Amino acid sequence: MAISLLNPKAEVARAAQALAVNITAAKGLQDVMKSNLGPKGTVKMLVSGAGDIKITKDGNVLLHEMQIQHPTASLIARASTAQDDSTGDGTTSTVLVIGELLKQADIYISEGLHPRIITEGFDKAREKALEVLEKIKIPVEINKENLTDICKTSLRTKMFVLMLYWLLKKDDKPVDLYMIELMEMQHKTETDTKLIKGLVLDHGSRHPDMPKSLRNCYILTCNVSMEYEKSEVNSGFFYKTAEEREKMVSAEREFITQRVKKVIALKKSLCDGTDKTFVVINQKGIDPMSLDMLAKEGIIALRRAKRRNMERLALACGGIAVNSFDDLQESHLGQAGYVYEHVLGENKYTFVEDCKVPQSVTILMKGPNKHTLMQIKDAIRDGLRAINNVIEDKAVVPGAAAFEVTVNRELLAFKDTVKGKSRLGVAAYAEAMLIIPKTLAVNSGFDVQDTIVKLQEESRLNPEPVGLDLTSGEPINPKDAGIFRQLHSQEADHQLVLGDCQQFITRG
Amino acid sequence: MGSREILTLQFGHYSNYVGTHWWNVQEQGFEYDSSSSSEIDHDVLYREGLTEKNEVTFTPRLLFVDLKGSLKSLPESGNLYAPNFNDPSAEWDPDLVTVKTEPVNNKNQFQQDLDSSACKNIHRNAYDFEKDVSVWSDFLYTRFHPRSVNIIREYQHCNENTPFDVFPLGTSLWKSPQFDDDFCNKIRSYVEECDSFQASDLEIGFHMLTDCTNAFAGLSSSCVEHLKDDYDKSALLIFPVMPSYFPDRVTSVEERYQSLANDSVRVLNMALGFSAFSEHASLFVPLSVGSKGWRKPGPKRQFDLVEYDHELPYHSSALLASALETFSLKYRLKSSHFTLTDLCADLNRNGRRAAAASLKLPFSLNGSADLLDCLDKWQGPLTQSITPSCEIGSENLIQYITLRGIKEEQLKQPPHLAQKQLKLPAYKCDSIASMLNMYLAYSTDFSISNVTAVNKPLNVATPYPRIFQAAAGRQANVSTRAVPEFGQENVPVLAGLHNGPPIGDMLESLYTETKRIKFAKFPQFIAGGMESEEYEECLNTLSTLRENYVDDYVI
Ligand SMILES: Nc1ncnc2c1ncn2[C@@H]1O[C@H](COP(=O)(O)OP(=O)(O)OP(=O)(O)O)[C@@H](O)[C@H]1O
Ligand SMILES: [Mg+2]
Repeated sequence: MAISLLNPKAEVARAAQALAVNITAAKGLQDVMKSNLGPKGTVKMLVSGAGDIKITKDGNVLLHEMQIQHPTASLIARASTAQDDSTGDGTTSTVLVIGELLKQADIYISEGLHPRIITEGFDKAREKALEVLEKIKIPVEINKENLTDICKTSLRTKMFVLMLYWLLKKDDKPVDLYMIELMEMQHKTETDTKLIKGLVLDHGSRHPDMPKSLRNCYILTCNVSMEYEKSEVNSGFFYKTAEEREKMVSAEREFITQRVKKVIALKKSLCDGTDKTFVVINQKGIDPMSLDMLAKEGIIALRRAKRRNMERLALACGGIAVNSFDDLQESHLGQAGYVYEHVLGENKYTFVEDCKVPQSVTILMKGPNKHTLMQIKDAIRDGLRAINNVIEDKAVVPGAAAFEVTVNRELLAFKDTVKGKSRLGVAAYAEAMLIIPKTLAVNSGFDVQDTIVKLQEESRLNPEPVGLDLTSGEPINPKDAGIFRQLHSQEADHQLVLGDCQQFITRG
Repeated sequence: MGSREILTLQFGHYSNYVGTHWWNVQEQGFEYDSSSSSEIDHDVLYREGLTEKNEVTFTPRLLFVDLKGSLKSLPESGNLYAPNFNDPSAEWDPDLVTVKTEPVNNKNQFQQDLDSSACKNIHRNAYDFEKDVSVWSDFLYTRFHPRSVNIIREYQHCNENTPFDVFPLGTSLWKSPQFDDDFCNKIRSYVEECDSFQASDLEIGFHMLTDCTNAFAGLSSSCVEHLKDDYDKSALLIFPVMPSYFPDRVTSVEERYQSLANDSVRVLNMALGFSAFSEHASLFVPLSVGSKGWRKPGPKRQFDLVEYDHELPYHSSALLASALETFSLKYRLKSSHFTLTDLCADLNRNGRRAAAASLKLPFSLNGSADLLDCLDKWQGPLTQSITPSCEIGSENLIQYITLRGIKEEQLKQPPHLAQKQLKLPAYKCDSIASMLNMYLAYSTDFSISNVTAVNKPLNVATPYPRIFQAAAGRQANVSTRAVPEFGQENVPVLAGLHNGPPIGDMLESLYTETKRIKFAKFPQFIAGGMESEEYEECLNTLSTLRENYVDDYVI
């Protein structure tokens, strides 16, 4: 530090050196990620050293999967994935922009510009970029058409858009994403993914005599232990005989038996003599003796259900999740048209279907192997998050690189108003923005320079935001084409990217 | 007989080393010959499953967690359930897919031999594990169910740039969907499937092995809290494990400072972990072959007839696993319905939730012809503590001791040959357990001991390290195959769990070390999302726990 105060040149030299290393790292990452930007980007298949396979197009997943050794590269990856964890989108763009900012900075620093001046310029440019974002954003009324459009650009896969569309259509209110269960099923031949209007649980009954399917079911959702719990511990110092122990057990068990009998009594009063049936879904345990009693009554009973599914069940079937069987009533129960078990190898699934007005649904994903399932799951999780963000932001940003092109234009104009050398930083930032339209063009097979020139010209003439049409290579208005991006991801891009870049530029 | 399944959780690389040895020795000891039925109830720690091809599997009831890049040649999908994958690029349009293949991690000779059906006897081959083992999967004999595998993608194994080194990194990772959702759901699934139909009492217990010098302490602490919330009736026994060697470089001044800082960070992680464990676990037993444990592992624990390199996790973890495998027999025997809950309830009286463990490996008769003679001539303590900063002593203890591998024929001389033995009071004892019990009654004061004797010795065949001195074969005088070289190799082992005032001393020393650290000098903790009050609370919890060990009655 002392040296650099005396000799600013030394710091420049050191920074240039450090930057060179950092740029190599950033470029390496960029090279891996470039080809998957945008709808025309390619899918990546990663094969690990041990032969594990992962297939993805998502920047976040890719970065998490790769083994990254270089320190700067790991930091860039860390920064980019951190932003994704909150927004679910924009990782690929972030990596590309960071790399580009470093490259641009390098050009000036190698000509002798002090790194701190560059970063000053970056700061100013970022503020401007955020202003542009504020201007360009499109307020969204939360309804199904708008949300579907957004999912389309975020997910790109028709199937999911369609499903989400269905999800949203049932209701005009925003959907509580928490109430959507994602269930995966590994299946050799079936590969469809579908929406179940009800709930799918990943376990079945644990008694051989319980029915495998029931129609016209009452559903009792509960959080009540139906298993015998030892109250006295069997000390190793005060040894008990097996007989003594059995006696103690049967006395204590009576208590649980009474509980189970309450459920059976309700079942008898509601179902016997009708075509109605009874299903118990318990968050707590149910021991074999209790299962036996319930099985004799033709009841399906599931134990250890997911905590979250308690709430989902109530929303899907009606009724409420009870914490005790004292004054158990019909109004506590939900209803489902069809409950059945499905066995796949060692895995059992229970479908609770045909719910009248389900407020909670399940997306059932089927795929032949783990990596296909993971890919579907990642895509759905991202899509759901995207919707969530839009509902929260109540705004979106025009996509197809329109934002980046506009920032480029505005910054070039702004540059001339900046005094001193820090305007060079602004210029560098403006140039770096173009990496997004450039890469989109390359991935769609268009000439980069042609495309940029066309976009910049159109942007100067047109007050509306201008983006790139990936089928024709011509400028379009993304709003008309229904191409949007989350406000969240764009904002975070600029906040985050910058902090990190400055660190890479000024330090090693 | 009641079912009493246990789900084992392993957090972190060193824990997985210990776990690997533990599962290995269990499976080496499996008796496939149905004529001799096993004393050990393997259903306690293992589960039966079914592959898609309807093949029955028997795999550990286990969830383990490690960082990206730590599995080396072990595929995440395991090799039991995964269909042999054909080239998946065939399923995809080559124009749309770019394939990126990382350099293949070649399996070492041992793993190749396990895979190839041609190689029938891995025990006969010599492997250079000491050089060859860089991660635990290098000497893994067991095969896992794919759901056992949990890889953290946010941090990379042995990558200094993205270290998973401080407690709060672990606690915040617990909140990610991978743990909050997937991992918790896996625990639930394991619990859901537990029971056997003849069971009259049902009980699920948890074993947890966790690294506690790094952020895994935070991750496991959060997990412990979750278990407490969702399975409050279940026993939870935690083994925080500490490596006996850290490869910190200390050549330059800068490196020396860094190393000191590392020491402090480790102590803070341990203290934070221990305080969380003491609040939510039934019992926790810190394990290490380093005698000091906190800032520095300290000199290694010595075991007669054993020569081991404490710098190799492959060696040190084998010792810890041998102890675990032995004292846990107490609640894993077919002949008894004693459970993990029972054990914890006996050992954690008066809020003493920390306990110590000990190991005598091999348990040698020291050239005596029988146990009676051996105990009669015994000098010094019976076992060696494997809990850091804790010497177990012989007073005011409550302890569970398991001795395995000594046959009833080796108890004493038959009357016509007994001569002097006849005069010893212990000659009246007619079982290994009662004789050892009597020995303990004489050699300890104000203590209660429970002894379990098991016929089956510990199987130390490959890939267990060859740490026994040549003399072990002769002096241990138990295995027909004296020197562990070829074929079946077995050693008798004695191991125990103990609670009493010395554990209070251990807590005291950890408390003192922790208090000396200036927490503010380690901003990584705050930056990771911790508050400095949490550090104060942790100190309070430790000191409260420590107070439970003061025996304030006057004798
Ligand atoms: N139909 C479209 N026409 C033109 N551009 C599009 C279209 N759909 C998406 N884009 C653009 O593609 C880019 C997004 O690509 P992509 O989703 O691959 O990367 P990302 O969102 O930055 O990162 P992540 O990998 O996390 O999703 C945005 O710039 C977006 O505007
Ligand atoms: Mg995207």
